[in-house]
Amino acid sequence: MANSQRRITKELAEVTSDPPAGVTVSLANESNVHEWNIMMDGPPGTPYAGGKFKLLLVLPTDYPFKAPTLNFKTKIWHPNVTFDEKGSMCLGMLKGDVWKPSSKIMSILTAAQQLLVEPNPDDAVEASIAQKFKEDKAGFIKEAQEYTKKYAN
Amino acid sequence: MVAPRMDSSLPAQPNLRLTIIAADGLYKRDVFRFPDPFAVATLNGEQTKTTTVIKRTLNPYWNESFDMRASEESILAVQIFDQKKFKKKDQGFLGVINVRIGDVVDFSSGQDQMLTRDLKKSTDNLVVHGKLIINLSTNLDAPPRGNLAPGNNAGAGRPSMGTPAGSSASGFPGAPSPAHTPGPPGPSGAPMPNGGIPSGPTPGHAPAAGSAGPSAGGSQANGGPGRQNGTFSSFEDAQGRLPAGWERREDNLGRTYYVDHNTRSTSWNRPSATGGGETQRNNERVANTQVERQRHQERTLPEDRTGASSPSREQQTAATNGGGNAANAATMMATGATTAGTGELPPLWEQRHTPEGRPYFVDHNTRTTTWVDPRRQQYIRMYGGQNANNTIQQQPVSQLGPLPSGWEMRLTNTARVYFVDHNTKTTTWDDPRLPSSLDQNVPQYKRDFRRKLIYFRSQPALRILSGQCHVKIRRSHIFEDSYAEIMRQSATDLKKRLMIKFDGEDGLDYGGLSREFFFLLSHEMFNPFYCLFEYSAHDNYTLQINPHSGINPEHLNYFKFIGRVVGLAIFHRRFLDAFFIGALYKMMLNKAVSLSDMEGVDADFHRSLQWMLDNPIEGVLDQTFSTEDERFGQTQVEDLKPGGRDIEVTDENKKEYVDLMVKWRIQKRIDEQFQAFITGFHELIPAELVNVFDERELELLIGGIAEIDVDDWKKHTDYRGYTESDEVIKFFWQTIRSWDGEQKSRLLQFATGTSRIPVNGFKDLQGSDGPRRFTIEKQGEVNNLPKSHTCFNRLDLPAYKSLDQLQTKLTMAVEETMGFGQE
Repeated sequence: MANSQRRITKELAEVTSDPPAGVTVSLANESNVHEWNIMMDGPPGTPYAGGKFKLLLVLPTDYPFKAPTLNFKTKIWHPNVTFDEKGSMCLGMLKGDVWKPSSKIMSILTAAQQLLVEPNPDDAVEASIAQKFKEDKAGFIKEAQEYTKKYAN
Repeated sequence: MVAPRMDSSLPAQPNLRLTIIAADGLYKRDVFRFPDPFAVATLNGEQTKTTTVIKRTLNPYWNESFDMRASEESILAVQIFDQKKFKKKDQGFLGVINVRIGDVVDFSSGQDQMLTRDLKKSTDNLVVHGKLIINLSTNLDAPPRGNLAPGNNAGAGRPSMGTPAGSSASGFPGAPSPAHTPGPPGPSGAPMPNGGIPSGPTPGHAPAAGSAGPSAGGSQANGGPGRQNGTFSSFEDAQGRLPAGWERREDNLGRTYYVDHNTRSTSWNRPSATGGGETQRNNERVANTQVERQRHQERTLPEDRTGASSPSREQQTAATNGGGNAANAATMMATGATTAGTGELPPLWEQRHTPEGRPYFVDHNTRTTTWVDPRRQQYIRMYGGQNANNTIQQQPVSQLGPLPSGWEMRLTNTARVYFVDHNTKTTTWDDPRLPSSLDQNVPQYKRDFRRKLIYFRSQPALRILSGQCHVKIRRSHIFEDSYAEIMRQSATDLKKRLMIKFDGEDGLDYGGLSREFFFLLSHEMFNPFYCLFEYSAHDNYTLQINPHSGINPEHLNYFKFIGRVVGLAIFHRRFLDAFFIGALYKMMLNKAVSLSDMEGVDADFHRSLQWMLDNPIEGVLDQTFSTEDERFGQTQVEDLKPGGRDIEVTDENKKEYVDLMVKWRIQKRIDEQFQAFITGFHELIPAELVNVFDERELELLIGGIAEIDVDDWKKHTDYRGYTESDEVIKFFWQTIRSWDGEQKSRLLQFATGTSRIPVNGFKDLQGSDGPRRFTIEKQGEVNNLPKSHTCFNRLDLPAYKSLDQLQTKLTMAVEETMGFGQE
């Protein structure tokens, strides 16, 4: 079996047998190990609590030499996720110049969850959301909750 | 000819040098006699300048320069008259050209423009015929062509000039051998003539999607980022198809941007394909192409430039070298002044011509003759090792005394001096009376592109053969026509003087047409739409061979053709408007590719492989000696070595794995294509000759050295840890400004991986992750050399304390390191 498939299959086994709390993983298409569907619960104690978010993890042919990409398929109102149909997530460890071949999918999922708990407004892709987060925390929480209700049910 | 008077807008000092070079094929108005033509130039009907009269010819050659005051709005008129009939009613009118200065000259960028125009009738409708060749230059510091000095209009100085003018096939008697590519007439040292730029329609060079067979599907399958866009190919989106030649891409943040392959520019805004937008875009495209063409035509190589610019660098080098080193040995260097040879002859010297038209020089002081132009005298500089000040004494070579016994000095057909040693039946460029620099233990400048170039071009295998090689193409079908024309001829035929003809256009190839030809063809044959080449992942513009070109069953023939074209351009001293990844140049030189070459191909992949070497991998990576290759949506497993898919990669064998992986990614999967390409290339350029260059010099040889606009560069530079007002930054720009084009290009190669500048200047510089401006970062100890990160166009510059230190360190880094992070 070729390189990336072998490693991916191994990681898939790991994640499905022992997933991070509030996360379930499945293949988007049984014949293709390169695309994973992720269902992530909004972490408790955050404005995203109660929401169910669908994400798509794409593992490139060159994985693990190239970083995977992670996109929110469910719209989410968050400083580090583009608020559009793409839902691109700006996750530090997935940046090309930061990515290490030793990074595991498990840690990516944990990092994504952590970003929901602790947004990083200084590295935001949605500047207006980041501003609100910094300047009007209560307003931010309220708005994020509304969007969670609206999109993530 | 009526033109508005614009005197108030004219500068006080002359700012434009008009050189009236020659006319070709004037109308013969009388049956039994030839006219005595002379030319009259006016600017807006004023500032009248008149050339000498050339007797009895239809092909007069004047080569006279006039400095004039012009603005962009000025209209230049050059009229030709027959002096014998000048007093008659029609004044012996033989034709006129009118040129709006702003259409051909850009005062802001200082340049040299060669124009070939058809002579036009005047109002009285007399038949006229032929062409007029003039040169317009905004560089008035250069030595003028011909004689600018007053009193030379008598024409007595060069009576014999007229004779070869009529017979020389090139129309430039300055090039005695008709087989030779016409250089600038006379050794003026001006940049290469830009030839007549055909003013015909600019072809849109975007192939219609689909015309090349696999367009959208093929390119998309190359694993571009467009894949993430779900169902849309990278050539369409929810709003429909992008205009022809546009592609949608994403940067690393998932932001969408658009690549316009027509102009090789990028934009955040989606191009609209509709109505007025299209027209506007077309106009922009035409304008962009024009800028690119302009820039392409301004490219030069050090051999072509004026001698004046090189001594400064050699001076520098020598000063560095001289510092007490090598004891008393005198470092001697020719200044390169052999290429210049203008201005007035010394007193009591005279230039004459042999019956064959070869110039020689009479020194009435000593009553001797010589082939060597005394203005072209070789000066040598002596740097005394003991002399603390390194004062430079210049002395002409002629003071060295006679040549050793059995030696003879000769001139090449480009009037370059060389030496024949009849004792050993060998020739050399080096004057035997000078101590050979090779014999000395003096520190040598590591690399001298100019010398290599001269050596390279002097080789018999690169000599233009007698005869002509005619290539006739349609602008609209330049790729297929060129393919047919260039593949049907033998390599020997292609080494004859190249005569390009565009179908339906008049115009003889004085150099301008072949320049245009290579410009247009390079845009076409490297266009990724044909799936032969693709842009590297490194930036959007360096090209690499497309590993999946096999979708076109004829692809290997095309690669052979492209190899021939690259060789043809080098052979005929033209430039291609194309830049490849560094690894491809290395492969052309038969050098092994290494992990560092991966950076130019795919920076992220490079980083991961490097990480793998630097860290324990067992139990972490789970790799085997195999890789996956995605071809048009199908993933295939490829072994890196026999049975590789069953061999584990361990900490012991990972080095081998990385080497094999690099070879596979860069070399093996395009091996067939590359072999075809290099076979075509070697048909014109023998491997052993091109191997004198290193890979960066080869890039310059193929693409030429661009004029680099330092102001634009500086304006679009970011600083990290520095500000523009910091001392070391000032030193930096001061140093850059003092450098010549080649050195600037080398610095760009060092910092960005290519000497190519985006069409719209430095503001559009691309990094591996989308637009990236040139950045200088405060990094490193002052004892270390600057480093570069080509994928981010970044230069790590230590805070050097003095201008001297910065110059030394930067020069050393640029000249001696191979790009990435060396110390």
